[in-house]
Parts: sequence; C-alpha cells; structure tokens
Amino acid sequence: MQQSADTAAPAPARKADHRLFRGNLVALVVSLALVIGFFALATEHFWSLRNITNVLGQASILMCLTAGVAIVFISGEVDISVGSLVAAIAIPLIVIMNATGSLALGLGGALALGLLIGVVNGYLSVYLKINSLIVTLGTLFIIRGLVYLYTGKRAIADTVYLESFFQLGNGRLWGLIPYPALVAFALVGGLAVLMTQTRFGRKVYAVGGNAEVARLAGYNVRRIKFTCFVISSLAATVGGILLASRLGSAVHVAGLNYEFQAVAAAVLGGVSLAGGIGGLIGSALGVLILAFVSNGLGMMSAPTEWQLVITGAIIIAAVALDSAKRERA
Amino acid sequence: MHKSMKTLLIAAASTVAMVATTMAQETPKTVGYIVNYATHEWYQNVIGGMQDRAAELGIELEVIDANLDIAKQVSAAEDFMARNVDVMIITPVNEEGAVPILRRAKAAGVPVVLEGNPVVGMDTLVAICDYDTGYNAGVEAGKWAKENLEGPVRVMNVGLPLLSATVLRSNGFMDGIRTEMPDAELVHDLDGGGNPDRAQEVSAAALAADSDINVIYGINDSSALGGLQAWRAAGLPEDNLLVVGTGGEGLAFLNEMAKDGPLQLEAAMFPEKVGFTSMDAAVAMFNGEDLPEHIVSPTHTLTPETALEFYDFDGESRQINWERVNELEAPDQCMKYASDL
Amino acid sequence: MSVTSDQSPTRQARGLSLGGLLRNEQIFLIILLAVLIVGLSLAAPRFMTAENATAILHQSAMVLIVAVGMTMLLITAEVDISVGASLAFASCVVMDVINTTSSLTLGILAGLAFGGGVGLFNGLVVTRLKVNSLIATIATMMILQGGVFLYTREAVQNHHQIEAFSLIATGYVGPVPVPVIIAALLAVVFYVMLNYTLIGRRVFAVGSNPKAARLSGLSPETIKLVAFVVTGILVGVAATILASLLNAGQPTAGRGFELIVIAAVLLGGTSLFGGKGTIAGTILGVLILKIIDNGIIILRWNQDLQIIVPGVVIILAMFLDQLRKGRTDG
Repeated sequence: MQQSADTAAPAPARKADHRLFRGNLVALVVSLALVIGFFALATEHFWSLRNITNVLGQASILMCLTAGVAIVFISGEVDISVGSLVAAIAIPLIVIMNATGSLALGLGGALALGLLIGVVNGYLSVYLKINSLIVTLGTLFIIRGLVYLYTGKRAIADTVYLESFFQLGNGRLWGLIPYPALVAFALVGGLAVLMTQTRFGRKVYAVGGNAEVARLAGYNVRRIKFTCFVISSLAATVGGILLASRLGSAVHVAGLNYEFQAVAAAVLGGVSLAGGIGGLIGSALGVLILAFVSNGLGMMSAPTEWQLVITGAIIIAAVALDSAKRERA
Repeated sequence: MHKSMKTLLIAAASTVAMVATTMAQETPKTVGYIVNYATHEWYQNVIGGMQDRAAELGIELEVIDANLDIAKQVSAAEDFMARNVDVMIITPVNEEGAVPILRRAKAAGVPVVLEGNPVVGMDTLVAICDYDTGYNAGVEAGKWAKENLEGPVRVMNVGLPLLSATVLRSNGFMDGIRTEMPDAELVHDLDGGGNPDRAQEVSAAALAADSDINVIYGINDSSALGGLQAWRAAGLPEDNLLVVGTGGEGLAFLNEMAKDGPLQLEAAMFPEKVGFTSMDAAVAMFNGEDLPEHIVSPTHTLTPETALEFYDFDGESRQINWERVNELEAPDQCMKYASDL
Repeated sequence: MSVTSDQSPTRQARGLSLGGLLRNEQIFLIILLAVLIVGLSLAAPRFMTAENATAILHQSAMVLIVAVGMTMLLITAEVDISVGASLAFASCVVMDVINTTSSLTLGILAGLAFGGGVGLFNGLVVTRLKVNSLIATIATMMILQGGVFLYTREAVQNHHQIEAFSLIATGYVGPVPVPVIIAALLAVVFYVMLNYTLIGRRVFAVGSNPKAARLSGLSPETIKLVAFVVTGILVGVAATILASLLNAGQPTAGRGFELIVIAAVLLGGTSLFGGKGTIAGTILGVLILKIIDNGIIILRWNQDLQIIVPGVVIILAMFLDQLRKGRTDG
C-alpha cells in the first residue's frame, strides 16, 4: 500500500487541468441546454414532463456503460467489450430468476458474471500486458459468440414475472422519475465521488496521466488499472440488468454497438483516450446530449440516417473543439 | 411525387368497398409504427403500404425506426405513448424483448397491432404464412424442374436458422418440391445471415465443396441472389439451374427476372399489402373490434411473366398494382406455425 | 527508382534487432497456417481441393486489398474504423455512376475518388483538427452509415449490364480469379513501397518516433494524410469488386468488415502503436482468418464459432507476441 504518495502529479499542471475540466463541464451543460431548447421549439411533443423523464430512463443504460468505460479511459486503457457484456450478464440473471424465483439470486448471478469478465479483461490487459484494445476487441467477439452458442440465438424469456424486476427498468418513483434513471444517477454519482474525492480516484488520474511517473511515485499501477477494468464491467453489468428488465428477457442481440456509443459519449463528455483527463459527470452529460438528440430527432420523425449523421458530426466537432482548446491552454 | 399520387388513386379506386365499411367506423387520428429497421427494402415497402392506406383513411402515420436496437424499440414505444398516439403497430426486433412494452401499452390503454412476429400477450398479429409461402413455391419449383431441369433435383438452401419464420420457409420449400419430385435432395443447408454479402460468402464455400446442385432456394431475395452471385463467381454454367427467391421485397428480383436468367420463381410476400392490412387492423383495434389472433396477409409465387401483373416496374422503381394484389385470397389458417417446429 | 539502394545505416541497425523479431513472428504465423491447413485437410477431405483453395483466395482478396492500406496506416500509428461503412457507400457510388454514364472507367474512378475522399476527410480531421483517429473514424463510420441511406434507400441495381463489369469479381485469368490478381499486385506494390522506397521509410519513421521524424525535416502530418487517402482509395478498389460480386451497390454491406481487416493486420504482427508491421504478416493474417472461416463452414460446425475463434486467435497471437518481446527485452 502506497497511500502516502498521492502528491506525485505536478501541482501546476493539475490546476490548469482543473480549470479545463470546469470549463468543459460548463460547455457541456450549455450544449445540453441548447439541445433541449432547440427541440422544445422545433417539435411540439418534445417539451413535456413525460418525455423529458422518458429520456432520462432511456439514457440510463448507456449512462452506466459510459461511466465504466470512462474510468478505464482515465486510467489510460480501453474497454470496448461492454456491448457484449450487456447481453451476457442477462443470461444468468434471467435463468437463475426463472429457476429460483428470486430477484436477489438473479442479480447476484449477473454481478458474478460481470465480475468474471472484468477480471479476465483486467488480467489479460494488465498482468499479461496484452494491449487492452485488442483484449477487449477479442472478448467483445468471444462473449457475443458464446451468448449466441448458449442461447442458440433465441431470447430467454422471464417466466416468473416478478413485479420488482419489472419495476426496476419500467417503473417510476411517484409515477414520475423512472427507476432506471435513479439507478444510473446513483451509480454515476457514486463513481464520480470515488474518482474525485478518494485517494483511489486521484491515483487513477495519476496512473492515466503518466504511468511511469506514477510507478516511480510508488503506486501499484497494475492493481489500479486492474481495479478499473473490474469497475467498468460491474458498471456495465448494472446497465445490462436495467436493460434486461426493460426487455423482460435475456436477448442475444442486446447491446450490439453499445461499445461505440459509450466510447463516443465518453469522448464527447471530455474524456481523453490518452488517459488522465476527463470526468464522470462530463461523460454522463455526453450521454444525455446524445440521448436528447436521438429522442428529439425521433419526435420530429427524422429518419435514422439523419440521427447517425448528426451524432457523428457532433462527436467530431466536440473532440476537435476540445483539442483546439487544449492546444491553446 | 406524382407516382405515389397515382398509386393512391388506384388504391382508392380498388378498395372502395373496404373504404365504405371503414368510413362507418371511427378512425384513429394518429397511428405510430415502430419498425424493426427502415433501411431494409422490405420495411420501406411495408411503410409505403401503410402510408397509402393511412392517407386514404385520413390518418396521420408516424414512424420510428428501432434500427435493430432492441432497447431503442422500448424507447420508441415510450416516445409514442408520450405523444398520445391512438394505436401502435410494432414489428418486434425481438419477440421476447417486446413483452414489457405490450404490458406497458396495455396499462396506458394504447392498443397494439403486431406485424411479422408474435409476442406473448398480444391481441392481434398481421403476418404472412411462412411455411405456406415456401411450400407453394416448392410445388411450383417441382413442376418447373420436371419440365426444364436435367437429372435429379439437388437443392442448396441459403437459409437463416436464427428465425423460426425463415426455418418454416425452408422446410415448406423442401416439403413442397417433394410433392412433385419425391427424390429431391437437400445438399447444402446454409446460414446465409439473411444478407447478400454473407450469403454470397457462405454459398461460395459450399459450392467449392460440392457444386453438383441445380436448385438454389433463398429465404429472402438477398439470400437467393447472394447464392446466385456465388454460383457466378465460381464460373459455373447457368443453363441447368433454377433459383427461387422469397419476399419480393425490392427491385432486385424484378431486375433479375427481367434478364430471364435462372431466377424463374419468386415467392412474393407483398410488403405493401402487409402494411395496408396492418393499418386496417389498427383501425379495427381502435374501434374495439374482435380480431383474430393472426390476420394472414396473402403471398403468391410469381414467374417472370406474372410478376408484371402485380408490379409496374420501369427499372428504377416499382409500383404495386393494388387491384391485382387485393384480389389474392389469404387462408384463415397457416399449414404450419413456429410452434410446430 | 533511385531510392532502392538507399539503405540508411539507422535502418540497417534496426533491421538487426527488429528484423530478426519480425521474421520470428512470421515463422510463427506460417506454422499456425500450416497446422490449420494440415488439420483441416485431415478433418475434411473436401477442404484440400483446387476449388476450395480458389474460394478461400477469392474471399481473402477484398479483405487483403484494404488490409495492406490499413497496415501502412497502423505503421504510422493511426487507425481507420470507417472502412466497412465506406466500402458499402462506395459500392453504391460505383454502380450508380456506371448506371448513369454507361462507362466502366468513370464508375471505377468515382469509387476510387469516393474512397479517397473519405480517406482525405479522415486524414484532415485527424491531422488538422487533432482528433484521435479511433474516435474520428468511428464518427465518420456513423456519418457514412447514415449518409448512404440518404444517398440511396435501396440497393443500387445493375442497369447497365456491361459484361466486363461482372468479370471484375467473377472473371478468371487462367485458374486465378481476377480479384486475387488485383490483391496480389497491390500487395507486391505495397511490399516494395514500404521496404524499398523513401516513402516507406518515412512511414516507419513517423510511426516509430514522430518527434524525430519531424526534426529530420519530414512532415508526419503529410505522411499520415497520405496513408489515410491511400487506405481510402483501396477501399474504393474493394468496393468495385464488391459491387461486381453482388451485382448491386449494397448500402447494408460491409458491417463488421473493419474489425476483420484490423484483426488480420494485427494478427500479422503490425503494432497498434506504429512503427512496426509487414505486408507479408498481413497476408498471413488474412489467410489464417479466412481459412478458419472456411474450415468452420466445411466442417459444418456451428457458424457462431466464426466470431469466437478469431477473438481467441487475436488475443493468443498478441499474448505470444508479448512473451517473445518480454524475452528479448530481458
């Protein structure tokens, strides 16, 4: 344990970074407000309490995935296996729930599988030193393939119809705030506190900013990165559980391409692929911006192709602006 | 623009009787359709048929594309309910994954018509009979083979085991062709993924292993034509080959038939008619009518000659001949269902 | 070509250590390939036939054509995820332009120009706007996937019926399919270019040490831009073959193509971090993945294995690579 050594990062650089973070957060909040304002004026159905709360629920799954992906990015590694993980963890969840009639046991099974995937990703990337993009690209394929093999490409239906499980992804607190949104906000909030208010979080930033310096400062770089992979898989598991509830089943094609969406949202939210930069509140705002754009275009009955084009353009513009800002700073 | 107007007029003229009955009813103001993926020609033509019928009845049709994302399908249903549509039509991305939506729609009092695939807890489904479609095409293929093909019938099935619907089509085809040619043999039973590039690749590998076949059956046009393209890429002669396509979802089969090549039979499923029928079902649901669990949309096996009775085709676009399609009779029951597999 | 004899001392010095390593890596891949071929021949007699060998080469051709460009791009330490989406879009452009102009040449040129244009866009976004290439090309992929449906809602059918067009994919020269010849020629050209020309050396220099490359008067941005454009043009070549093969421009084609290409290149020993890679390795990588694909079909195994096995192979290959590196380092 090297808990006394967390002053390693050079202080001035940090301050500048913090200013950038804050500026970034303001920019994201303003962007989100602009998006919401635009659609509120452009289409009649958008600006209703029902729709706004709907979108929060719809964004919840990606919010969980993105939080985990962002932490791995900040640690200087990559995790793109989350899209397949979402489909995989629903299987023990539904199968165990069907067999035992217990939601708790099902959730336990899902979290156990999520933990296992995180350990495998982390072990291969950190301890066997295989590039994490390759590892998680590989596990992205392997997990999806195993899901197809196990399910025979048929969805596994929830046959016990537990009300608590249905409510988890579909219900609303006071008939207003979707439970999945509450779960996602709690997860993102908790992880944001972990990343900004604890020694562990500061170490993750230090390791991602410069692993060599962090190592010389006495940090256990491997253990920190390994932990990030595990956190990412567990966060994605929570997202997968919410999705399974919304689908009432374990669907073999669930989560296809979510890894790209999560990466895009994290980057839009100011997280750098180079490591050490960005935060969870920012990446959550990134998710919300993309979710409101998608919902707003849907409300305007814009075809999917426009949604793809606009999302792609937003990502390029956001990252280009961000890197221009960094060059000036 | 004026083409679609023309279609509308034809449609209007040919369905006076139906309009007359529906006029007596209340019509919903808005109907929301959640489509599986609108980038596929099949669904574009389903939407086209719905739009034609909706315009006739003075209904506003809204479409949201789930784009094969099972979660987006749930979001789309939420969006429609937030917009207070009167009826939803849903083509499920996945049948099991649509169960909670139906439950929530029911709670919100929004009637739902399913298109394509059944979902537990549904009220009504508009769909073709997959087995019958394959079976009838198989019978025609058997007759054609008797007259035109040399040697015993040897089939390459470019299938899609993923979906029960497509398995039913393949099974139906083999059962049908054996009524005419009892010795017909299934040489290759492939998973072509339902898309042209995958179908081409898988067929090429199969043909490299054994090219002694004379019938290619595809569970959709992409699969059939992917198989045919693999045949061509392998440099095999086309004079003793029959290709049977399924769906008739777009322009590809009309193009290929215009060449008078090996594609001589097409098990057309008329997506426009499916859309048309779904819209009528939505109106009936809105009025609280008692509907059968399965409303069958008709299919018909086309030849290069008869194809042009059903579609006006100028090489660039196609227009359905509503009069001819609405003459087709659909059975009340299918010969086989997914539950029989 | 006066540059061929221009072997600088630094390159030779690197050749000693790195070259030895690379050769090692390829021996490993050759052994893997041999094991696969022998194993499949024993397990399935239908595997070892001239027809099947031709079919495998035929299917490898399109992947290889784009993979040689991707090799060069990865050597400069950049990546392009948009190649699959661009492939589909370009195949529609090729068919559409031939339909309207009835000119094969114009259609092919349009396809190459489209692919090159996408490459130029990617290259400019990466080098001028300083956007990480993984992110930039994911975004381009989304734009192209959406854009192609704005361009055409349906597959672009063949209305020109030009005989020569279908021969691009389905023709043979002697026993060899045309696409295989195109792929082989391109592989040779890129092999020569990367190993024996000034451009090739610059490509390696940019990837292995951009700062040094800048100091020595090279513009890393220009080299990277060129690598993006070249990769894009090769996508145009592959798109022409795809359009011919499917006899249509398919807006839905090419899903997952980028992952197969990148997997093959990485399996071939090219580094994600730039500065290291060979065309020979890439060829082996493509062949190994395609033979695995073919074997699974021939053996009538569950086709779901077609996504599991490559995943395992890539991780395993990288692991062995890591082991070897560990040994040389220590």
